[in-house]
Amino acid sequence: MEQNRARIAAQGLGLAAISYDSVAVLKTFADREHIGYTLLSDADSKVIRAYGIFNDTVPKDSFAYGIPNPGTYILDAHGVVVGKYFEDDYRVRDTAESILFRQFGIEPEPRSSVAAKHLKIAVEGGETPVRPDQRVTLAVDLQLPERMHVYAPGVTGGYIPISFKLSPSPAFQADPVTFPASKTLRLEVIHETVPVFMGRFRLLDTVTLAGPQQVQPLLDAQGNLPVEGDLRYQACDDHECYPPETVHLKWTLQVLAFDRTRAPESLRRKQ
Amino acid sequence: MNPVGKTTAWVALAASLAWGAVATGPAVGERVPDFHLRDQNGAEHDLHSILGPKGALLVFFRSADW
Repeated sequence: MEQNRARIAAQGLGLAAISYDSVAVLKTFADREHIGYTLLSDADSKVIRAYGIFNDTVPKDSFAYGIPNPGTYILDAHGVVVGKYFEDDYRVRDTAESILFRQFGIEPEPRSSVAAKHLKIAVEGGETPVRPDQRVTLAVDLQLPERMHVYAPGVTGGYIPISFKLSPSPAFQADPVTFPASKTLRLEVIHETVPVFMGRFRLLDTVTLAGPQQVQPLLDAQGNLPVEGDLRYQACDDHECYPPETVHLKWTLQVLAFDRTRAPESLRRKQ
Repeated sequence: MNPVGKTTAWVALAASLAWGAVATGPAVGERVPDFHLRDQNGAEHDLHSILGPKGALLVFFRSADW
């Protein structure tokens, strides 16, 4: 989250995080991790309860009693919820980058361009380090020249629609790919209308990393996780359709271990 | 934990597992409750103070310690 603070602020958005930790524990954490945004102490879980997200499955005598069901609200300028990201599994968290990407379409710098026929491709997303169990959004940015189109999913008549599929891996679970809204193109010559994409558009795929046990064995020597997939498309201009192309795309995710550093003993929550 | 408390805890756990989803608070379209909390430097904040011109991300997390 700290890495994305500037991008969040650039969108005119505030940023604050609430936990049941004391002010002292939050201060220790903020100093250690060089956190510049607001961490709020809800030590008696009053606000957590007021929001209706008190975790009531934790026993009263546990040091963890008082924690919330974790997640993120996206609020408008009036404090009204316009988006929310909560997961069923308490271990899984959306990365800030993933939320920024999906909610606001904030694009990071294109990570790398990929050579391809008829159009320009860049892969984006996964720049900031991620942890096991986190979610990260990967993007394929496509730019077509004028008068060129590719077919959108749902096209009939033997045309090859654009598709993207990540190679399955025990290290992550991929959501279905998100496509933008397609345009309808009328092909006069054959009196057909077809769903297409033109100009510049982006495909998104959000993946959920597995736990540390599953991810660790698949990291390379630098501690990075390669994530690969195939993009398939058929490009056509107003004269002809070209043979379908398959382009292999790759992301390299830097994976951090869980942060297991504790606050000093004297500050820790007892019961 | 006394026997009644234990039963209540198990019922709550079973219920949350049976229904699948955990409670996630205010829905899209609802205004979130106001709050008055201190930050890591002891400064006080309320909902209004954390909202930027376009809104805010408000994150609830389990703990900064563990």
